[in-house]
This record gives sequence, C-alpha cells and structure tokens, in this order.
Amino acid sequence: MAHTTRTQNLAAGTLPSGAGAVPAAASALPAGGLPTTGATGRTGALDSALDRLWGLLTSMKFGLLLILAFAAFGLVGTLLIQMPAGVADDPQARAGWLAEVRPKYGGWTGILDQLQFFTIFQSVWLRAIGALLAASTIACTLHRIPGTWRTMTKPHVNVGPTFFEHAPQHEQMTFHRAPADVLAAAEQVLKRRHYRTVTLDDGTVRIYADRNHWQPWAGIAGHFSIVVILAGAMVGSMWGFRDSQFMLAEGATSAVPTEPGLSIRLNSFKDTYYPDTGAPSDYVSDVVLTRDGQTVAQQQVRVNEPLRYGDVSFYQAFFGPAAVVTVKDAKGATLYSAGVPLAWTSNNGGNKVGTFSLPGQNVAVWVVATTGPDDPSVKPGQVAIELYASDTGNPIVQKSIDQGTPTTIENLTYTFERETKYTGLNVAKDPGTPIVWFGCFLLVVGFMVRLFVPYRRIWGQLASRPDGGSSLSVAAVGRRDSDLDAEFTSLVTDIRQAVTGPARS
Amino acid sequence: MGKLAEYAFVAGTLSTFLALVGYVFYALSGVRAARMAAAGVPMTTGGIGFTSGPRTASIGHYATLLGGLSVFAIAASLVLRTIATGHGPFSNMYEFSIAFAFGILCAYYWFERKYRQRVLGLLALPVALALLAYAATVPASIEPLVPALQNNMLLTVHVATAIVAYGSFTIAFAAALLYLIQPATGRWGLPKPAVLDEIGYRAIVIGFPFLTLTVVLGAVWADTAWGTYWSWDPKETASLVTWLIYGAYLHARVVRGWRGNKAALLLLVGFGATLLTYFGNLFFGGLHSYSGLAGV
Repeated sequence: MAHTTRTQNLAAGTLPSGAGAVPAAASALPAGGLPTTGATGRTGALDSALDRLWGLLTSMKFGLLLILAFAAFGLVGTLLIQMPAGVADDPQARAGWLAEVRPKYGGWTGILDQLQFFTIFQSVWLRAIGALLAASTIACTLHRIPGTWRTMTKPHVNVGPTFFEHAPQHEQMTFHRAPADVLAAAEQVLKRRHYRTVTLDDGTVRIYADRNHWQPWAGIAGHFSIVVILAGAMVGSMWGFRDSQFMLAEGATSAVPTEPGLSIRLNSFKDTYYPDTGAPSDYVSDVVLTRDGQTVAQQQVRVNEPLRYGDVSFYQAFFGPAAVVTVKDAKGATLYSAGVPLAWTSNNGGNKVGTFSLPGQNVAVWVVATTGPDDPSVKPGQVAIELYASDTGNPIVQKSIDQGTPTTIENLTYTFERETKYTGLNVAKDPGTPIVWFGCFLLVVGFMVRLFVPYRRIWGQLASRPDGGSSLSVAAVGRRDSDLDAEFTSLVTDIRQAVTGPARS
Repeated sequence: MGKLAEYAFVAGTLSTFLALVGYVFYALSGVRAARMAAAGVPMTTGGIGFTSGPRTASIGHYATLLGGLSVFAIAASLVLRTIATGHGPFSNMYEFSIAFAFGILCAYYWFERKYRQRVLGLLALPVALALLAYAATVPASIEPLVPALQNNMLLTVHVATAIVAYGSFTIAFAAALLYLIQPATGRWGLPKPAVLDEIGYRAIVIGFPFLTLTVVLGAVWADTAWGTYWSWDPKETASLVTWLIYGAYLHARVVRGWRGNKAALLLLVGFGATLLTYFGNLFFGGLHSYSGLAGV
C-alpha cells in the first residue's frame, strides 16, 4: 500500500493501551485521582504529600469550588456596606464608623467586624482564597502544557478499533476503490477544510486530522493571564503610591509626593453646570507641572482626561472652596500666603474648615468659613482663625477676621485676602498597570479564541477489503453538540462524494 | 427625534407583548399536541424538540414575526435616541433597560433561528417585556452627560458589550430553567434536556467573552476617569462575581458530578448575579451611581 503522504513515526509507548479509550490529550480534564505512592520514609512521605497537593491544585473540582467561594465572598462585599479606605487603619475612625452602622446591623456589628466582613476585600479570607485560586490556576496551566504540546506535535494516530464504534460521532464507509485512492481523496477533503493530517501505515492506514490545533493554547493563555493580572496588581501595591486627597488651591504650588523635584501648580479650577437641570457638565483644573523649575507639562485636567507625566497620573477627583490667607511676622516678612482648601466640615456648626501649619512655629492654623448670615460666630465676609498647639493639639486662641483687614493674633498678622477654589486630585503612580493591561489583553483574546474558534479532531482507519475495495471508519471525539454533529456529517458526506465522484442521478 | 424614539419604543413594547401572547398560545398548542401524542394520536415530534400539533407551527410563525417586528421597532428606538442625544443609548436606566431588552430579543432570535426551540421564547420574552415595562416607568427625558460619563467611545463600547453578554445570559437562564423542570427523559414535549444543555452552553460561550470584555473595558475606563483600574466598587465587584459564576459553570460542565443539574443551577445563580449587577446602580451607591451628584 504505497502512499506519499507525510508519515510520522510514533514511539510505540505513546499509543493508547486501552482499546477504545478516548485519546488522552489536552482535553481539559486533569487527572482525577490522587496518585498513590507506596514509598516509605521521610522523602517518600514528603513526595506523597507534594503529590497530593499537586493533585489537589490541578483538580478542576477544587478550582471550581475556589471560584465559587471567591464569588460568594465577593457577593458579601457587594451587599454589605464596606469601610471606606483609610478608616480601617485608624482606630478612632474605625470605632466611629462602626458606631454609625451599629443601628443597622445591631448585635451582628461586632461579629461582622471580627470576621473582617466590613473590609472583606482586604480580609484574610479573600486573600487566602485568592492565593489558592492563583496557585490552582498556575498548577492547572503548567499541568496542561506538556499534554497540549504532545497533542500538537505528536498526536495519537492509532486509537484502536473499538474507538470507531464507541466514539460520540462515528461512521463506517465502504468503497469499491483502492485504499490509496480513498486516502488521497479524503486527505484532499480534509485539506480543503483546513485540517492538518497525520497518517500512519501499519498494514491498516491510520489517519488523524485536526483543525485549529493551536486553539488549546488560547485557553492556556487565557488562564495564565489571570496570574499576570494578579502579578501586575502586586507590583502596583508594592512599588506604586496613591494620594487620593491631594488638594491644591487656585494659584498654589505643591510638591508631588515621592517625586523629588516635581511640583504642580493650579492656575484655575472651573465647575460648570447645565442651565436646565443644574446637573454638573464639567470640572476642569488648569494645571502646570514643573520639574526643578522647568515647565514639563501643562494641561486642562478633566474627569475623563487625566494628566499623565511619565508613570505619574493626576486625576480630577473633587473640589471645593478655599480661602487665601497671608501670615506675616512682626518684621513684615511673609510666613505664609496661599489658598487654604476648606475641605473639611466642622462638627458643631457645619462650617467649611481648612488647615495649614506655619514653618518654624508650634502652631496649627485652622481657617473656618461662614455658613451664611445666620452664622453666630463667623459673619459673611469673614473667616475665623483658630490656633492650636501643633504638639499637644490644645486650643490657643480663636478670632474672626474681616476680609482684606490685617489682624494681629499672637504676634503674627493674618489677612483673609479673598475666597477662591481648590481642586482635589488623585495622584497615582502604578508601575503594575502595563502588566495588568497586558494580562487583560491576554485574557480577552485568549478566551475569545478559545471559545469562538472551534478545535476539531477526527480519526480514521482505512483497510483494504478482499474484493479490492476499501473500508474507511471515521470517528470524532467531543461532547454531542449540534455544531460538531453537523460538521462531522458534512465531512463524511464530502469524503464519500470525493471518493465516489459526484452523485449520479 | 426624541419623540420618534419614544413612539418606536411603545411600538416595540406592544409587539413584544403580542409576540409573548403568541408564544403562550404556541406552547399551549404544543402541550395539547404532546398530550394527544401520549394518548396515541400521531403527531410530529422533532428529534430534538418540541411536539407540535397541526396549528402549532403557524401560531409559532406569527409569534416569531411579531417578535421580529419588536426587534426592529426597538432597534429604531435606540438609533433615534442615539441621534437625539449624540451618544450611545446607555447613559441612564431608561436607555439601558431598552438596550438590555434589545439584547435579550436579539440573542433569543439568534437562538431561535439556530435551534428552532420557540418554547425558550416563553421564558426569554417576559424578561425583555419586564425590562421594557420598567423603562416605561423611569424618566425618559434626555439629560446631558455628567462629567464622569463624558467618554463617548468607552460609554458606547463598554455598555454595548455588556448588552451582548446580558442578552446571552438571559437565554442561558431560560434554557437552564426548562432543563431543571423536567427529568432527564423529558416531559410535556419540552425540548430535550440535551438540547437545552447545549443551548445554555452556547449562550455562555458567546456571553462569557463579552462579559470579560465588558469588565476589562470598565477597568480601562476606571483608570481614565477614577484614577485606578480596580477599586472594588460594588457594581465592579458584582460584575466580577457574575464573571466568576459563569466561569465556574464552564468548568462545571466538564467536571464529573457537576454537569447536568448543578451546571444548570449555576446558570440560574449566574442570571441572578447578572440582574444584581444590572440593577445595582439603584441601591449600591458607589462610583456607578449616576443618579445624583456623587463625588464628581
């Protein structure tokens, strides 16, 4: 039986032993059972434990349970109110926050807090499940690589005769033509359908054909991408920084934290509203970025248009009123002159308040704005200046001052120049972001290819018949599925037609 | 233009309702046929599907026509609304609900063409109709976009991919429900469990990558507008939970002891998570609440 097709020599050992066995390969199922080793002694026990761990991590059932566990905790985090960032680390703020939610959760408050359910995304639960999930994903991915590689480079060609009777899709055809002719015709049909064919001749011609044989790699890439994204997130949390409370009044310049030499100045902030509805239409901060006195960037920062400089980004986050205050000492030297963001609200009167400290003085200055004509202590056109000792926090003095009138308090002259605005920026540097985007790209492309591109494999067995004709069995493996069935049927029809010629009618 | 969009929306809602009535009669006719078949009267029983009586097919045909009409009317409504507002019709619950209903109808008719299982329409259409009815109750006025939403490209693509995913998940839900209410051998002449299993799977095969894309595009947008690609915002987290549940389903289908009923159950749970994600805007708070002035 002479044929001129590519023939691959397969090591006998790689042939499936069990007759009728579905060809093992990179099918998604990992080894189900845990390996049992009869080894004894310490090394043996360790090996056995590692084997068990590996078996657990590569078990899809375990992975499935981990995914569901992660989803369950995520759901809790969605439904249960979560502590805002910053509150969790501050014992006083934490207690205050818990007191606020206590009416809602009653006696459960303490328990939920103890279980870290109010900070569930930073909890040991989610971290542990996430770590196991990552380990399981890595293990499964690694576990599948050798098999996928083997299936791609050295597919099982000889699958044994009973496979052709028990496979989900199977068909037996007899022809009056010689096996070589049938093979040539069948190979042509397969080639036209973009199948890759491998044949093996041991008296019976065995045929293996697959289409999109690289597709399983897309699944591996999709799974691996999750690890990449997690790695990117870890890089970001270790080497990145974030200041989501970076405030800057109009005309003020401030150094950018952790970036030596880099300063940002706010030229102006503008908030505009739709005339009909009063809904906000735009928030714009006009900022200038300088490095060692040299302007390196200037931009109108909007909500959807952050300023990106190198790997540092500035986002429009919030805004509010500010008071420009000038402080001079007895000799007339200016100690401070800038806009003070009135970003907080006083507990007693609901006044907008802001603070700054004076260089070389043991004093924290608080600026209190008026709430309107009804405000008993601060009249419109005034701000109150409250001084506290920086070290002890003890109040020193408080006094309301008129706009434009220099007023002496504790040997220093304070002037409330005018009202202005401040912008609240979110300053972030996240070196992990490019890694995350690469992972996201792999994730989307990997799963799209894995789920949209069909991976097909079929096997054939061609034998000569005593009458000089031949018989061809073909079978495919896969779940019963109408697409697969349809493709198999049409493939069989095509082969039949190609061998016998167009149907005569 | 905005007025025309509303007329098209009303027309689409009405024809969806009429189509649903058609599907109810179709199903009743089919169940009667199944009962008669059981009693020994010869009936056409599809190899994979629904038993049909003499008038069943023509009722079904009319139901499909009406449904097709509603797809066109709602598509017209969305297009007109886009022209009127100048951005993708996804900026508030009114627009997004109509778009979700449109996604469900499109997904349903894609599956009806492919699998010819009209009984699914009996479950999918009520979901679409409920969303349209919900849209009718929320303000339809055209509001200009708040700063956070002023990103036309991402607004359109991020939500459009969500619509494809949510529409597919609704079909998977319908298939799973029909799967679970009958024994493995089939009952009431309903589509065979194997077909329903396949439909559910195929719907997730389409929906899952689109949900992946939705979440990733959401992260891209968050990185532009909020300053971080992930902040455990409730809606963000809910979409991740949904993604995980459908991811679990895809694995469950190849794990012994999980395929079949448990996998179908995951599709129901997944659809619950989808609805939670969708309606989350209303009660989550967080950065996705565009109803009022939240932060920015």
